[in-house]
Amino acid sequence: MTTIQRIWRLRNRLIRLSGTKCQDCGLVTYPPKAACPKCGSRNLIEIELPREGEVLTYTVLNVPIKGFEQYAPLIIAIIKLGEAKVLAQLTDVKPEEVRVGMKVQATIRRTAPTLDGVVPYVVKFKPVRGEEASLKEREAEALTA
Amino acid sequence: MRDVFIVGVGLTEVGKRVDVALRDLAAEAVVKAMEDAGNEKPEAIVVGNMLSSLVEQENLAALIADHTGLRGVSGFKAEGACGSGGAALLAGYSLVSSGLFDKVLVVGIEKLHERPTPDTARGLAYAADADYELIYGISFAGLNALVMRYYMDKHNVTREEMAHWAVMMHENAYHNPYAQLRKKITLETVINSPVIADPVRLFDSCPLSDGAAAIMLVSEKYRKLNDTPVKVAGIGNALDSPDLSSRFELDRFIAAKLSTERALRMANVSINDVDVAEIHDAYSIVAAISIEEIGFAERGKAPKLWAEGRFRPGDKPVLNPSGGLKARGHPVGATGVYQVAEIAMQLRGDFPGLKVGGEVGLAQNIGGVGSNVTTVVLRR
Repeated sequence: MTTIQRIWRLRNRLIRLSGTKCQDCGLVTYPPKAACPKCGSRNLIEIELPREGEVLTYTVLNVPIKGFEQYAPLIIAIIKLGEAKVLAQLTDVKPEEVRVGMKVQATIRRTAPTLDGVVPYVVKFKPVRGEEASLKEREAEALTA
Repeated sequence: MRDVFIVGVGLTEVGKRVDVALRDLAAEAVVKAMEDAGNEKPEAIVVGNMLSSLVEQENLAALIADHTGLRGVSGFKAEGACGSGGAALLAGYSLVSSGLFDKVLVVGIEKLHERPTPDTARGLAYAADADYELIYGISFAGLNALVMRYYMDKHNVTREEMAHWAVMMHENAYHNPYAQLRKKITLETVINSPVIADPVRLFDSCPLSDGAAAIMLVSEKYRKLNDTPVKVAGIGNALDSPDLSSRFELDRFIAAKLSTERALRMANVSINDVDVAEIHDAYSIVAAISIEEIGFAERGKAPKLWAEGRFRPGDKPVLNPSGGLKARGHPVGATGVYQVAEIAMQLRGDFPGLKVGGEVGLAQNIGGVGSNVTTVVLRR
């Protein structure tokens, strides 16, 4: 089980999806690093990643780790977001509908409670569907919920 | 650097060992290794272990040394997730080759059956990135499943080709008295087994295991403690990101490639010289990528080769005559020590299961999804 301290520390990254960009070799990395994994430079800036991308690979867990049982079957994907890749949960989609190459967009959702009983919000990804309410509206809705 | 030799090995049967306490399981391996080394005592012990916190016990070097009559020696625990055994061997090798000690006992120990499976499964996922991966509830099997799907899509590998690995491992383990799963299976067993984390099925995965292994490493001065000392000709370790997101390529384990290159260079042997190897097949996908990164197959080709019958007894190299993690079992922090002990016994000619012999052997132990890899080259 995670802690409220961890969620608080990660609050911007879990909501805004930030990565790091190397000012020397240009590599964009998620999760953010203290130095560039490619060239070792510490000359990095934090950038916001695009909020739409496509599924590179995914899995469906019948048995998530302890604390996440309520989300089974849990769908986790690695999503190509611009120059970076992001591992995250897929939502608003049935396991049998997920495909490699599927277009998805970020949305803010609740996740499993922390040890302290706090319900944190994190970025998850849902399929891009034209008629859906705009992302900004959904975010505002989730954050004020 | 001084030469380092293996003069004693000791293994316990792998399985569900709720009958013994951690200290007694370790002692069984420690005593066997010391007896194999002419009852000589080490000056230091290094313990490889990942999750002794599950049995509410840390300070393992003190616990095991004290329990086995070694109170007063030097020692510590080394951790590198599922690669903890390899990390302990790297530390033990360094202690002897540096000249600090002449006799070091490396002990691998893990007890995964003490707690309910959900607790153990969560503990194993600690090998991943807690901040950015665990936060979504993904299990270790799930992380391997992400790599497996990517690899199979990219290289057009079929479900049936992947399944051959488990069948081969169970055939090998059938002869190994230390193995956890000593029964032969068919392709249908694998293909029809329950899905754990799609596309990983139960028989793509190693079992949960308890077990302990020990190896006595000595300098030249003590090599005669055993009639057939085996030389640790090379050892290499490399690290990669614990998270999958920032990997440059999802179907590669760069740390496996680097650690192999380092070990081979040190041993001054080519990959073509290797007669027998024990590789880290926690999942069939990990076997495939390991085989390719070590250099036994081209990228994307390992499953096709093993489906065609390669790597079995009589081939060069023979892979995992013990049955591998898949069927010998995977007592996490002990696995790397098992592998090196098994290869040493193959080169000595006294492995109690499938005997394949040879002059040069290799063992490869991985922590995380390819993020902490130790490769050891042994020479008769």
